[in-house]
Amino acid sequence: MPVSTAVHSLAGAVRKQEQGLLNCVHCGFCLPACPTYRRLGDEADSPRGRLYLMQAVVEGRLDPGAEAFQTHIGRCLGCRACEPVCPSGVEYGHLLELARQVGGDARRPPIPARALLRVFGTAWMARPAMFAGRVLRATGLPALLTRILAGRRPPKGARLAVAMLAASAPPPPLPGRAEARPETVTQRRLEDKPTVGVLDGCVQAGLFSRVNQATVRVLRANGYRVVSVPNQGCCGALHAHGGDLDAARSLARRNLEAFEAAGVDIVALNASGCGATMAEYGSLLADDEEMAPRARALASRVRDISQLLAERGPIPGGSVPLKVTYDAPCHLLHAQGVADPPARVLDSIPGLDVVPLPGAAECCGGAGIYGLTNPRLGGWIGSDKVRAVLGTGAAALVTGNPGCMMQIGAGLALTGAGIPVLHLVELLDESYRRGGLYGKAGR
Amino acid sequence: MVPATLAKSLVEICGRDGVILDEDRLLVYESDALTAYRHRPGAVVLPRSTEQVQGAVRAVAEHGLPIVPRGAGTGLSGGAVALDGAVVIGTARMNRILDIDAPNRRAVLQPGVINAELSAAARVHGLYYAPDPSSQTTCTIGGNVAENSGGPHCLKYGVTSRYVTGLAVVLADGSVVRLGGQGREAAGYDLVGLFVGSEGCFGIATEIEVGLLPVPEGVRTLLGIFDRIDDAGQAVSDIVSAGLLPAALEIIDGPTIRAVEDSVFAAGYPTDAEAALVIEFDGLKAGLDEDVERAAVLCERAGAREVRSARDEEERIALWKGRKKAFGAMGRIAPDLLVQDATVPRTTLPAILRGISEIGERYDLVVANVFHAGDGNLHPNILFDRRDEHELERVERASKEIMQLCVDSGGTITGEHGVGLDKKHHMELIYGPDELAAMWGVRRAFDPGGVMNPGKVLPEGAGGD
Amino acid sequence: MIDSGVDRVVPVLSVLPEDRVLVGESARDWARGRSNGPGWMPGDPEVPVIVFPASVEEVSALVRVANEKGMRLLPAGLGSWLGGGGWTHARDVIVSCVRLNAVEHYEPADLTLTAGAGLGMTELDGVLRPNGQWLPMDAPGADAGTVGGLVACGVSGAMQGRYGAVRDNVLGIDVVTGAGRMLRIGGRVVKNVAGYDLVRLFTGSRGSLGIITSVSVRLFPRPETDVTLCYAGRAAEMAALAHAMCTSSLPVAAVGLEAGNGDTICTARLLGSAGEVEEARSRLIDNAGQEPRRIVRDDESALLHRERAAWEEGSALVVRLAALPDRLADTFERARVLAGALGGGVAADALRGAVRVKASPDAGRDEDIVRALSRARGEMEEAGGSMTLSQARGKVAARVGWAGGRGSAPALGARIKELFDPASVLASRCP
Ligand SMILES: Cc1cc2nc3c(=O)[nH]c(=O)nc-3n(C[C@H](O)[C@H](O)[C@H](O)COP(=O)(O)OP(=O)(O)OC[C@H]3O[C@@H](n4cnc5c(N)ncnc54)[C@H](O)[C@@H]3O)c2cc1C
Ligand SMILES: Cc1cc2nc3c(=O)[nH]c(=O)nc-3n(C[C@H](O)[C@H](O)[C@H](O)COP(=O)(O)OP(=O)(O)OC[C@H]3O[C@@H](n4cnc5c(N)ncnc54)[C@H](O)[C@@H]3O)c2cc1C
Ligand code: SF4
Ligand code: SF4
Repeated sequence: MPVSTAVHSLAGAVRKQEQGLLNCVHCGFCLPACPTYRRLGDEADSPRGRLYLMQAVVEGRLDPGAEAFQTHIGRCLGCRACEPVCPSGVEYGHLLELARQVGGDARRPPIPARALLRVFGTAWMARPAMFAGRVLRATGLPALLTRILAGRRPPKGARLAVAMLAASAPPPPLPGRAEARPETVTQRRLEDKPTVGVLDGCVQAGLFSRVNQATVRVLRANGYRVVSVPNQGCCGALHAHGGDLDAARSLARRNLEAFEAAGVDIVALNASGCGATMAEYGSLLADDEEMAPRARALASRVRDISQLLAERGPIPGGSVPLKVTYDAPCHLLHAQGVADPPARVLDSIPGLDVVPLPGAAECCGGAGIYGLTNPRLGGWIGSDKVRAVLGTGAAALVTGNPGCMMQIGAGLALTGAGIPVLHLVELLDESYRRGGLYGKAGR
Repeated sequence: MVPATLAKSLVEICGRDGVILDEDRLLVYESDALTAYRHRPGAVVLPRSTEQVQGAVRAVAEHGLPIVPRGAGTGLSGGAVALDGAVVIGTARMNRILDIDAPNRRAVLQPGVINAELSAAARVHGLYYAPDPSSQTTCTIGGNVAENSGGPHCLKYGVTSRYVTGLAVVLADGSVVRLGGQGREAAGYDLVGLFVGSEGCFGIATEIEVGLLPVPEGVRTLLGIFDRIDDAGQAVSDIVSAGLLPAALEIIDGPTIRAVEDSVFAAGYPTDAEAALVIEFDGLKAGLDEDVERAAVLCERAGAREVRSARDEEERIALWKGRKKAFGAMGRIAPDLLVQDATVPRTTLPAILRGISEIGERYDLVVANVFHAGDGNLHPNILFDRRDEHELERVERASKEIMQLCVDSGGTITGEHGVGLDKKHHMELIYGPDELAAMWGVRRAFDPGGVMNPGKVLPEGAGGD
Repeated sequence: MIDSGVDRVVPVLSVLPEDRVLVGESARDWARGRSNGPGWMPGDPEVPVIVFPASVEEVSALVRVANEKGMRLLPAGLGSWLGGGGWTHARDVIVSCVRLNAVEHYEPADLTLTAGAGLGMTELDGVLRPNGQWLPMDAPGADAGTVGGLVACGVSGAMQGRYGAVRDNVLGIDVVTGAGRMLRIGGRVVKNVAGYDLVRLFTGSRGSLGIITSVSVRLFPRPETDVTLCYAGRAAEMAALAHAMCTSSLPVAAVGLEAGNGDTICTARLLGSAGEVEEARSRLIDNAGQEPRRIVRDDESALLHRERAAWEEGSALVVRLAALPDRLADTFERARVLAGALGGGVAADALRGAVRVKASPDAGRDEDIVRALSRARGEMEEAGGSMTLSQARGKVAARVGWAGGRGSAPALGARIKELFDPASVLASRCP
């Protein structure tokens, strides 16, 4: 898309916000919520400042190719911590995507980022790439390298990439053991057994397939009917966040058709980044007359796995005597406003000791490909998170998004502290296995 | 643009990442929270220490440029706006709490510490920082000191100046003076008190000592719903006359209630009501029931249609919600908002409120009121759309009339937001040439060269300069 | 009949009628009737001259004449503490504001009052009491003076933690500056940030910048219940008890310590609704782990604190030792040692960590006194605190120094003095 058209659409969006009377009143309430402003102290790296730069582009006072626009929009984590604190309800995430598009069109994004985006977006390329990643991981080489590199911080470039890969490996066995299967436990029977389709996602399908498998098991255990959804693909989150809205839209269309075809009542997600994007398919495809109503309908059926589990209790499993702490993924907490359900799921696991994580609501610095595009700041934010986790004395960190798992996992691995990062469903799955909910065969 | 030599020395003092020179990046420092004024600074400096502030001040002053201190830029009077290519000295990186001295109930801070974060840090010791501007999650203590900020609970606890006990100030010549401090009763004039509320015109506060209070053990909140705003005003008078000392007494008027209820912040206030009165008591649990009971009876006697009382923290937050979200909600129903900040004697409230609504009607404008009723500190918000030029003119005329009305009743032009750029010409409504000359004189005593935040607070030419 | 032979009288008579001027013996008589301290004119004025302007215009005419003739004026209220802090000079013309004593504006429901600076604090209380209100500014000796004197001295009392200091409760001031300008600053409203806070500058300026003619103050509802718990015991034990009371979260309005010849007394004052006070009382006693020796209520409690506030009445030497509140035990001990050396008593405001020492030593012991005071100051400053003289004979004060060397920003202070009183016609501290 040529720059002028892109500016036009940012202008359109800003205007729409104004007409929807959702404009930024410049009150500054969002400043302290922003991880980049907190660290840099420059208002150009704050939500209000970034919005002001966008406004300046729209007003024609600033060239979107300008260093200032590129740098400060580029430094945004897209964590959307600025949204819930905004009294005027400014939809920052949406405006950011448009700003990225304007900025991206004015200047091509850096090559490695572009290449990565392509890998995630194209199914045929994603599979071999992920496969290669899995093989590399299986050799144990990344883990070894990570150990060797441990202690040299902050993680940067290659070191980080290797460590992230290592962090996606399954966690070591957890303490405690399976209990004798209680007589009475059976799968919960429910009158309404909603049909659920799970988004496999590109990263999960590639590096975290165990999380997907666990997701299906725990959903079934809680009385959901899980069906497979063929022809689905990447949700388009990374493209949208990176400002490649056209690519994001075509990915959205593909998923829309796939999930409609599967006839699901609920779209379940175990990657909150993808969840946030799918929940916003409605606005992503708003200009597509034919697709828009369908996109809105699908978006309204999007649920995070923690919500689905919390709605059912979830049913209790066996004891997992472990001290853990929970980090809220930004796209779950800020973008989707899901705060309680993960805690309710953790509370349901017998034996689990959940300690609070200071700054749990703050971004881990993962933010998609942020660590690669802004290694220094990303590393700074990441190491603050790692320090906070270590400070809790927890034996494992639990979160709900593969990006966060890799980012924090990499950071933790580099400290050599041996603290694994678990997905919420992995932990519940383990509890169910121990509780004998899956029968003697275990997993 | 600042001269290259200045740019170079600033970078030497504050480091490359501590100085912003790029014209485009400077755009974001054009305004504070009052966006009616936009002026791009010549440069922005983000020092980390008193020494760096001193260095920067000296360098800028040597080049004959003016200086504007800036906290979080939440000011509502244009105080942190840089006129004439001034250099902004921002305190965002000076955000360390240097000491919390719990036994003596005091804390020493850098100026960029956020108000609410000081309270959060003190809470670990069972203490908190009392002045609570509605912007407390964002605004800095330095900004609070400069504006002498207040908040809902200042009715019982007093405003910022009551809590500031010591300051280190970098003056316009780059020297540091220490005023008060260490709980010591300073000999000589109360220069700490004089500095508080000086709106960045006297110097830059780089270290601030404040007093803390013990967290009250109990809090009880009431919400009175009224069909007539006069009655709510009467209830406020009655409660105060009855000898009750609430921690907060806040009124939200009909237009504001409707704005809030129309927004996503709906707080469950009835939309046909003309006023909601939030009353809060705090202190020992034992005394609270009695206070709450008496206040409820007084509300009913003044004509309240309904009095709700919060039984737990959740309900308390719900009752406050309409008040706390009012500003944002108004931002949602109109593109532009003019917030005024006059204070009037409490007993004139009913008459003034009637007068304001009459002015709104006459100019065909929506005026929504949400204010610190216990202190008589009004915040009439005129809602408008600046793209409509005719409306803009009506807004200006109405605003002036409202201001005059408040002044005529024995009130003042600003209760907590400060004069800044916005109200400097209203200063002549309340002060004559002698008073203005005295203020100019005091300003010159601190800043003989007129370097600090020029163009603010005092009208030029008035009574002297 | 006025002795117009005194050079300072002639210019004064050009602006005031004779019946508002007192000279010589008659001036001394007036002062004797009112002064609570023996040293209200410590500079031993050649011939005392007191004038009583009855309007702002007269005040301003006096200032004009003073500027023209190079006279020095000493603003005053009832003259109850003129000598305190060493601000009087031998040739001052004392300008008492007692005739400016009208209640100009009082709207009880606003909880604000505007009155002439010369209104006596006792008269003021008489106006407020019927409305269930008060001005809880219990500065030492405040009851004996005027509201203008209270503001000019700016000293706060034991209830400052509860109600704020004097400066927090002054809303507006009318003043005639040394340069002769009539300023009306601040206002009658409780929240006001229009312009710089000159009200605070004049509060505590001790008549050195201008003559205050009228003040607006913030009032408070008089509490329903007033109860004081009195404990007694050994000094160290009582100091520890006082400190514990200060750091508890219970709303104690004032905590005092007093040491005389026998036991040390620790008092805790509770103000508020009956329910609140009752609760606080029982919890304070629980915390203390012992029953108080005595509990006094309402009028009796109020009286006890009034007496405490006027505690140094009649003493020729009053010293104030201050440090951070958690040093209370230390400061109190040092004060006891000093009192021992001077032969006097000690009283503390525990919430603020301030301790007063009073004594009336013989003039012949000046050497000993100077030594004891200098030592106390050295020790206090070493410990991060301060020692100031509130009341002392000129000779002693000159050798010890009224305050320590720690006045903040003297250059700024000097510029401000120069601004409002360029010809130095008003009070300034004696060297
Ligand atoms: C939604 C909203 C609600 C608000 N509610 C209240 C309220 O309830 N009560 C209230 O009183 N105010 C309120 N305000 C106004 C504002 O938040 C306060 O004035 C606040 O104190 C400003 O702090 P700041 O850090 O943002 O300062 P800034 O806006 O950055 O600066 C304000 C002034 O202080 C000066 N300054 C800043 N730091 C220093 C320093 N270190 N040394 C010297 N001068 C300095 C600046 O030059 C400027 O003149 C509100 C504002 C908003 C947007
Ligand atoms: C027993 C006793 C003990 C005291 N202890 C202390 C103490 O320890 N420390 C302390 O600081 N004070 C002390 N004071 C002073 C007291 O706090 C009051 O401020 C004082 O009583 C006021 O009295 P007055 O109105 O008679 O003023 P005066 O005694 O007449 O004057 C007191 C001071 O205020 C100034 N002043 C008075 N009226 C005006 C005016 N209208 N305009 C400008 N200046 C004015 C005078 O110049 C003088 O400096 C004590 C008083 C008494 C009686
Ligand atoms: S984005 Fe929201 S919170 Fe931030 S400045 Fe704008 S209106 Fe305020
Ligand atoms: S999305 Fe996150 S990083 Fe970006 S402006 Fe908002 S809070 Fe800051």
